[in-house]
Amino acid sequence: MKKVLSLILTLALILSVLSFAAADDLPTITIMFHGSNVTDDKAVLEKVNEYIADKVGAKLEVIWGTWGDFDEKSVKVLEGADKDVDIVFTSSWSDDEYNSFAKKGYFLKLDDLFAQYGADLIAALPEDLMKAATIEGAEGKGVYAVNGFKDTATQNTWDINVTLLNELGYTVDDVKEKGFFGWGEIFAKAKEVKGDSFYPFLVEPVVAERMVTNSIIVSGDGNANLLSLYLNPDDVSAEGPYGNKLLNKFATPEYKAFVEKMHEYYEAGYIDPALSVGETSNDCRANHQKDASYLIGTQVYAFGYEYSPDVLSRGVEVQFLPCTEPYMDSTVSQGAMMAINSASEHPEEAFKFLVLLNTDPVLMTLMNYGVEGIHYTLDEDGLVVFTDERANYSPWTNGVGNVTLLPDTKDEGKGFRESFKAYYSTGKVIPSNGFFFDPEKVETEMAQLANVNAQYALALDCGATDPETELPAFLEALDGAGMQAYLDEANAQMDAFMAK
Amino acid sequence: MTTINPSARKKIKAGSFSLNRFGPGAQAAFHIILALFSLLCIIPFIFVVIISFSSEESIRQVGFSFTPVSWSVEAFTYTFRLGNALWRSYFNSFLITIVGTILSVAITILYAYPLFRKDFRFRGFFNFLSFFTMIFGGGLVPTFVICKSVLGLSDNYAALIVPMLFSPFNVIIMRTFLQTAVPTELIEAATIDGSGEYNTLVRIVLPIVKPGIATVALLVALSYWNEWFLSLLYLNKNMDIMPLQYLLMRMQRNADFLAKNSSMLGADAAKAVAQLPSQSLKMALVVFIVIPIACAYPFFQRYVVAGLTIGSVKG
Repeated sequence: MKKVLSLILTLALILSVLSFAAADDLPTITIMFHGSNVTDDKAVLEKVNEYIADKVGAKLEVIWGTWGDFDEKSVKVLEGADKDVDIVFTSSWSDDEYNSFAKKGYFLKLDDLFAQYGADLIAALPEDLMKAATIEGAEGKGVYAVNGFKDTATQNTWDINVTLLNELGYTVDDVKEKGFFGWGEIFAKAKEVKGDSFYPFLVEPVVAERMVTNSIIVSGDGNANLLSLYLNPDDVSAEGPYGNKLLNKFATPEYKAFVEKMHEYYEAGYIDPALSVGETSNDCRANHQKDASYLIGTQVYAFGYEYSPDVLSRGVEVQFLPCTEPYMDSTVSQGAMMAINSASEHPEEAFKFLVLLNTDPVLMTLMNYGVEGIHYTLDEDGLVVFTDERANYSPWTNGVGNVTLLPDTKDEGKGFRESFKAYYSTGKVIPSNGFFFDPEKVETEMAQLANVNAQYALALDCGATDPETELPAFLEALDGAGMQAYLDEANAQMDAFMAK
Repeated sequence: MTTINPSARKKIKAGSFSLNRFGPGAQAAFHIILALFSLLCIIPFIFVVIISFSSEESIRQVGFSFTPVSWSVEAFTYTFRLGNALWRSYFNSFLITIVGTILSVAITILYAYPLFRKDFRFRGFFNFLSFFTMIFGGGLVPTFVICKSVLGLSDNYAALIVPMLFSPFNVIIMRTFLQTAVPTELIEAATIDGSGEYNTLVRIVLPIVKPGIATVALLVALSYWNEWFLSLLYLNKNMDIMPLQYLLMRMQRNADFLAKNSSMLGADAAKAVAQLPSQSLKMALVVFIVIPIACAYPFFQRYVVAGLTIGSVKG
């Protein structure tokens, strides 16, 4: 027995020594992405490592986080100060929230690295993005992440099934002219032609509310989703009807008018009841969009969405009618960033890699679209045509970095990236851009309010409950849960921000 | 060695038989209640099978239904086309469950046996040591750090097996079982006959506590088969060793996440939702997951029933 044991231990010792001896001398940096759908990255990583060996002086390994597991994994990595992960995706909306994590000291302050290696990167990114990344963190004011250059402005649009609309004898101009409050007639016609089981108005209720009332997401308000900041629909860079004041979303006349109309549409059978239930809402919307069984829907838009396969495959003409011009707010300007883990042992290499990734078209294309000849081919016009292998390698394009470096694909057409850049360079900045609500002091209220919100808001937004009785009950419940304290804290922070 | 005379055992049973008997009315009532209960257990699974064979259009039109508008085997042909990813994770699930169960049962027995032996001096201490972890745990992050950085449990099969090897609950079950089923005299007799400690455990004690081993093995096998959280924590780069449960869980979590964040992600979410697998595919995977473990039950059942009744027979 003892002999066997000692033999095993000796073998284990020899093996571990051997494995160290075989290790390469280039350091390995590990990057963690969000939203990927990657099952085979061997070919890509081989090429990437060949390419970056001299330029960065490191080898790359990737953790392909998916939508469902990224939050949990990244939080664990950062809280546990896991030195094996160097670069982590972060943003204003996911659980490893940029502002709060930078404050907790999980992210490295990058200002010195920017000064030393980052000149190319600063030149490649719009100034507003650099500004949006500059926040108050654990080591004072500075940049704690490399901001990705993606769609840098938000635009909410009405998603219109033009084929059906024309069939009913209307045009997009009619839709525009009549506006949300005057669509009853068009919906009635659709119901008459397509039958009783057809629901013409396919909304994502919370988005519809923002579109009709011209309110925006307030960063930091989180899942509670209680605050409204109203835009000026004619010029988003000017102040809205209430200035920069944050309001209780549900207590405004704008909101009341919206839910009353929604209730009218719902009662008339224009809205699918499945949309008013959280669990089924998204599936229902995706399914109706897929087989184009809707007339007017809502869509948070990104330039070029109409060329994406899921819109093209609907088999009808689709047009996206914007409610406002694209605007840049705090949420979108921190939509996809890459931060360096403060526990990382190779911060310099990690930063150099991020610079290269965001400035070098070869590397960006490789990481994002894969290897030419395997994951895509180029047609005679130099446009990217994806092969079947792409199914095994589809990172989340916007989550990788500077998408303006990517070549045009065949679906998008030639010149797409140029028009993309041009489109977003027109995006206006709202007056309170850069404001983040920090709910730390009112966390208890926030949790209670979020519960109240979950009970009432979706059904009201969707029109499923009667605002006559439900809205006052909702407002009363919010007051009871400490809405005023929450509002006061938010507005105090906003005033302090605007005073700067 | 002392053994119970088989004819004597029969007599005991025959004697108590009439006392345990119910009248026909009560019999019928019990049968009906139990039948209803088994229906409650089995109907959800039948429902899942039906959904997995429903066509996408049907789900879109009437939702989940026992009588779909149209049938389709699309979900299953799709899972077979998943090919390698599916079979590999299927294989992983089996490997983890089998290796994990064998190791875990071995450890449980080897820990529980000394605790049962009254002549073991540090009984109280080791009892406390295992019992203590049932009340106080290290918490998720410290556990994660220890497992990953100190023990090197990351991106390997060990990461999916080792954290669940020892369960104080199973040790307690095993120890109690040993106490009820194995008389101290038996071990003394074996010692007098010249049997060593290992021989006593393997040849004499283990055959008697087979039902207990089967109970613990079933519990452990089930928890290994259903485990996905360890994969979420410890698998980062090496997705080749992902078990089937995690494959399914990931689909579900992706859908949930996109539903929650669709208004933040906008067009990206819409694109991602379009790539998600269909409902019927998920149900098809559930069928794949349930069948092997459902097949394992009959093998364990014999022992489990014996395990449940053994204490009372001895009375």
